[in-house]
Amino acid sequence: MQNAFTIDNLTYKYPTAKADVIKGITFDVRQGEIFGLLGPSGAGKSTTQKILTKLLDGYNGMISYFDKDLKKQTNAFYEEIGVGFEMPVHFGKLTAIENMNYFSSFYKNKANIRELMERVGLWEHRNIKVIEYSKGMKVRLNFVRSMLNNPKVLFLDEVTNGLDPKNAKIIKDMIAEYKQNGGTVFLTTHLMNDVEQLCDRIAFCVEGTLGETSTPRDLKLKYGKREVKVEYHENGATEARTFELDGIGDNDEFHSLLKAKKIETIHSGETSMEDIFIIVTGVGLK
Amino acid sequence: MKNIIKLTLGEVNRLGKYKILPISLATTLIWCILFFLITSDEAKELTPLFLFADIALMSIILLGASYHLEKQEGTIKSVLMLPVTQSEILISKTIASMFLTLESAIITSIALYFIHGITYNYAILLAFVLVASVAHAAIGMLLSLYSRDFSSMLGILMTYMAVFTIPALFFGFGIIPEKYELLMLISPSQCVYTLVNSAVMNEYDAAKIAIAIGYMILLSVVLFRFVVFPKFKRNSIEI
Ligand SMILES: Nc1ncnc2c1ncn2[C@@H]1O[C@H](COP(=O)(O)OP(=O)(O)OP(=O)(O)O)[C@@H](O)[C@H]1O
Ligand SMILES: [Mg+2]
Repeated sequence: MQNAFTIDNLTYKYPTAKADVIKGITFDVRQGEIFGLLGPSGAGKSTTQKILTKLLDGYNGMISYFDKDLKKQTNAFYEEIGVGFEMPVHFGKLTAIENMNYFSSFYKNKANIRELMERVGLWEHRNIKVIEYSKGMKVRLNFVRSMLNNPKVLFLDEVTNGLDPKNAKIIKDMIAEYKQNGGTVFLTTHLMNDVEQLCDRIAFCVEGTLGETSTPRDLKLKYGKREVKVEYHENGATEARTFELDGIGDNDEFHSLLKAKKIETIHSGETSMEDIFIIVTGVGLK
Repeated sequence: MKNIIKLTLGEVNRLGKYKILPISLATTLIWCILFFLITSDEAKELTPLFLFADIALMSIILLGASYHLEKQEGTIKSVLMLPVTQSEILISKTIASMFLTLESAIITSIALYFIHGITYNYAILLAFVLVASVAHAAIGMLLSLYSRDFSSMLGILMTYMAVFTIPALFFGFGIIPEKYELLMLISPSQCVYTLVNSAVMNEYDAAKIAIAIGYMILLSVVLFRFVVFPKFKRNSIEI
């Protein structure tokens, strides 16, 4: 499969800053996948997205978009990509639908605004000024904005940040569907839920550098402690014991515990993505 | 071209929604009320100053207000993600700014005609207003791009006014003698005054007009090409 983006040794310095914010990162985003860029706050995730969407230029290194130099892309590039920002980007004094109609009017390939807004539960609130929207409503509107042109590549910066679980699920379902229909997604986040449920491949970004690219599953296998934790009832209290997952079939202690005691819970002790995040980045999530 | 039209209509629509057009109309109306309180002779004397204030000052303030509102809301980022060029965006902003200046000039002219029967060569005034308002859109963008927010822009504007606009105003009131006019054309505000004054008074000094127009055009080209264009994208996205 072709690469949607190939990034080779990218470095970037904000003109006002002294040092590089992005310090030589190399990765690729394959067509048809959901690629997750993870990292603690201030790592450079949004900066990377802004470079890939041509909002920031003056970077060093090579970026290709479907094998063509990103720098040579004309504004037709924006017919093909959809961009969701982490901050609200709408005209507050206009209604949601006025905002969507305005932005949509510039695209050749127009998505059905009503369908999108209905899906995220904003259609009934379409005639409200965006300034009166709640935080979560603005986030959902940002997502609709990113889908207005039926993009070929979708960029999402912290797309579920500030959403309740129900709305987060709706958006995640829409992203998964978008991928099913052949779309490519570049997603930045520090929410591990998003990663486990959505991403095909992920890379950790820490202080402008990038670790190796892997899959959520591989990471779990690599960093996960494979063990089973059994909680059981004894003498009016809850006790717990932990067993190695390897060779558990022959572990007599484990089996007799299962037979003899009143079991309350059994958990396989895979390290959570949260733990892996902390191990890999050396930083806790905020 | 289609993009420019759509962007411009969007800009003008928002001038209304964000109350920038109403503010512009209100200041124009205050002038018009003033016209009732003065004699025709006085009105004729003051006409260039009214038009001058609008082009040399109000246009910069209103452009700055609209730019910083947009920057604060982050909408410029969203607009930059559209399949439009940066030139198209800047052209539409300039046209919107011209629209505001023109709207005030037209209302002022109508009021002057009906209240005091004052007329002048509207075609020439129109041409002058357009040239001057492009240059002042460029100046407005320049000040906007070099300021963090609207209030800091007003701070910079104070300095700009002290250096360029107040002297032109003194000139308009006759405090600065006319022999310095040529020298004072170094001030964009003075250019506006000279142009507007000659159109209203129907007195044309070819050399001065040529210099004023040439300077306005030069300023527009240089500022847009070498300052506003290269800085616009960068400054619009950082908060
Ligand atoms: N406009 C700017 N000018 C100068 N420095 C900036 C600018 N924007 C961001 N930075 C710096 O660049 C670094 C990376 O910022 P970035 O926004 O890319 O982080 P992030 O990984 O997206 O963090 P978060 O998870 O908090 O969104 C930070 O140290 C930040 O201070
Ligand atoms: Mg970010």
